[in-house]
Amino acid sequence: MLTIRNLHATIQDEKQKTKAILRGINLDIKPGEVHAIMGPNGSGKSTLSNVLAGHADYHVTAGDVMLDGKVLLELSPEERAAAGLFLAFQYPVEIPGVNNMYFLKAALNSLRKSRELPPLDAMDFLQLIKSKIKDVGLDEAFLNRAVNEGFSGGEKKRNEILQMLMLEPRFAILDETDSGLDIDALQMVAKGVNSLRSPERSILVITHYQRLLDYIVPDVVHVMVNGQVIKSGGKELALELEAKGYGWLEGLAE
Amino acid sequence: MMNQAALPAWLTTYVATQQATEAWLRELQQTLAQDFLQRGIPSRREEEWKYTDMSFLAKECFTKSSTLRSVVSPAIVAGHRLKNIESIFIVLVNGHFVESLSDMRLLPDSVTLCSMKQALQHHAELVKAHLTRNLNLQKHPFASLNAAMLAEGVFLHVPKKTVIAAPIHILYLHGEENNIVTCPRNMIIADEHAQVTLLEEHSAYGAVTYFTNVVTDIHAEAGAKVHYHKIQNDAAKATHIAQIFVNQQQDSLVETHSLALGSKLGREDVFVNIKARGAHSNINGFYCLTQDDQHIDNHVHVDHAASHGTSNMVYKGVLDKKSRAVFNGKIYVHKGAQKTQSYQANHNLLLSTQAEVDTKPEFEIYADDVKCAHGDTVGQLDMDSLFYLRSRGIEKQAAMKLLTYAFAADVMNKMTHTQIKQRMTILLNEKLAHDD
Ligand SMILES: Nc1ncnc2c1ncn2[C@@H]1O[C@H](COP(=O)(O)OP(=O)(O)OP(=O)(O)O)[C@@H](O)[C@H]1O
Ligand SMILES: [Mg+2]
Repeated sequence: MLTIRNLHATIQDEKQKTKAILRGINLDIKPGEVHAIMGPNGSGKSTLSNVLAGHADYHVTAGDVMLDGKVLLELSPEERAAAGLFLAFQYPVEIPGVNNMYFLKAALNSLRKSRELPPLDAMDFLQLIKSKIKDVGLDEAFLNRAVNEGFSGGEKKRNEILQMLMLEPRFAILDETDSGLDIDALQMVAKGVNSLRSPERSILVITHYQRLLDYIVPDVVHVMVNGQVIKSGGKELALELEAKGYGWLEGLAE
Repeated sequence: MMNQAALPAWLTTYVATQQATEAWLRELQQTLAQDFLQRGIPSRREEEWKYTDMSFLAKECFTKSSTLRSVVSPAIVAGHRLKNIESIFIVLVNGHFVESLSDMRLLPDSVTLCSMKQALQHHAELVKAHLTRNLNLQKHPFASLNAAMLAEGVFLHVPKKTVIAAPIHILYLHGEENNIVTCPRNMIIADEHAQVTLLEEHSAYGAVTYFTNVVTDIHAEAGAKVHYHKIQNDAAKATHIAQIFVNQQQDSLVETHSLALGSKLGREDVFVNIKARGAHSNINGFYCLTQDDQHIDNHVHVDHAASHGTSNMVYKGVLDKKSRAVFNGKIYVHKGAQKTQSYQANHNLLLSTQAEVDTKPEFEIYADDVKCAHGDTVGQLDMDSLFYLRSRGIEKQAAMKLLTYAFAADVMNKMTHTQIKQRMTILLNEKLAHDD
């Protein structure tokens, strides 16, 4: 499903200095699998997500990414979404003046168009969104607010999951969706993610806490340090990291 | 006295051939015309015209449309009407009032609403009193020219305590005739505690070139409420010069909502005079420039001459291609105008690196117990928001349009009249959709 080979990416910092952040990432995620990435702050996890989603601030200097046989890095962000990619952002932006429901409808119908499906009519859309918003535990009033504007941290995360449930991506990345969530919300998010799990779909979960992985049980856990995946293992690796931290792995980095 | 561009022959001819039937008007117009010719077309050396170059008036040639020659189809006219509401509708085509296209069925008997020609016959005293009120050749040269050339327009007199439920929609339509000049005048008089909602719309069918120099006078007597809306959607090659004079008496409320979408060159001056205690004024505008060399200049001047008044001025605009916008907001608080609250803001969104904005807030405050504030910004689309929308599958152009409309939303939402707001929103969205 998703193959990342030797991915290098840089960013221009505030002083216009080029900074290397991803330094040779390799990942192979097969259909139906759930992978988790853990790693210290600043190791490049969100950068990887943003590069995959097509954020223009990051420059890919080497490597390739294939999603279902498509060369991902050649696609625009909207084409990546059409190809089935979805990123639940670590810090979702607030967009004043853009109505949340209108936005979701525009997104869904745009994706439907790319799949050569007719747009959902107002009634069907309303019915769908009303059932999904219940699943993420948000009040319907959130549909009539501007996208994420004034939402609490947890509400923003729920809104990301709502979008994911509406858009039904083939490949979803959750970038610290669990951070800042209370226990109930965490379970709700996990339930939402698990409801999407299927033999055709894959999920990449970025988290600092092994607790989330009790609910969303991963097939593979990776450790990212300083822009590289330095160790991969089964779900017990998450427990080990929780107990020992990252220090014992440092010798593995280049 | 001022060092100005040579006066074009067409203007001299135009002015000389003005022949009002009423003696008082003929006399007034002759004086005004001579004065204007002496003053000349404002030049960029004048502070108020620093960014807006009117010298093309000397290079092009405009004539008066003496009789109505266009045959606009009723379907075109009907397309302009407000949806989901019944309105009072007055149509002027190429400057001529067209009764057969107008619809006055909902006009209450006690209200006077007619063409300016009819008003000059039947309500000469009122017209005369209001016509001479805002004359100031140096400050408002085009308003003087408008009075000198005045032939048509709309006259509305709402008597005391009368509330007109239906909105009054005045449509100035151009088509078929090229290079004509019109100087229409709208006179809106709301007596004590009267209430009225208006929409003045300027539009065209077909690609015609013309020059409009319109004046709208709004007089709100004590306790009157006037909700005035304007759509400037003139043809792409047209020139639109407008002056809106607002005079407010005690506790009156006047709102103006102006949407500028069309014309190659547009200039609108709004002068609000808070003349008596406790008058409230909201002055809002949005401009959307999508053509190369399109130029829209807004000057808003609020004069607080009495205490306890409020004024809220919010103008926003979006600029694409090689367009240019000018905004000048001026607030003058007289010595006696204590407890005045005044706010002005101008925010601009640039969609292209070649677009340009000149914005200037000005305050002159001579009272000590007042609250005044302002805010001005010029910015670009937020790249993170754009990325967010695109990452959900929304195409770049559509996402840009969404964000641009979002930028306009707070000004558009200041309009309380649902159907007028709806119509303005549709026109703005059509304009935004065009610019790819
Ligand atoms: N736009 C940017 N400008 C400058 N530096 C950046 C930018 N984006 C990321 N970086 C830097 O790149 C490095 C990796 O950041 P990234 O956000 O990918 O880390 P992360 O692993 O997601 O961390 P966390 O666990 O705290 O979310 C950090 O040092 C960060 O400061
Ligand atoms: Mg991160």
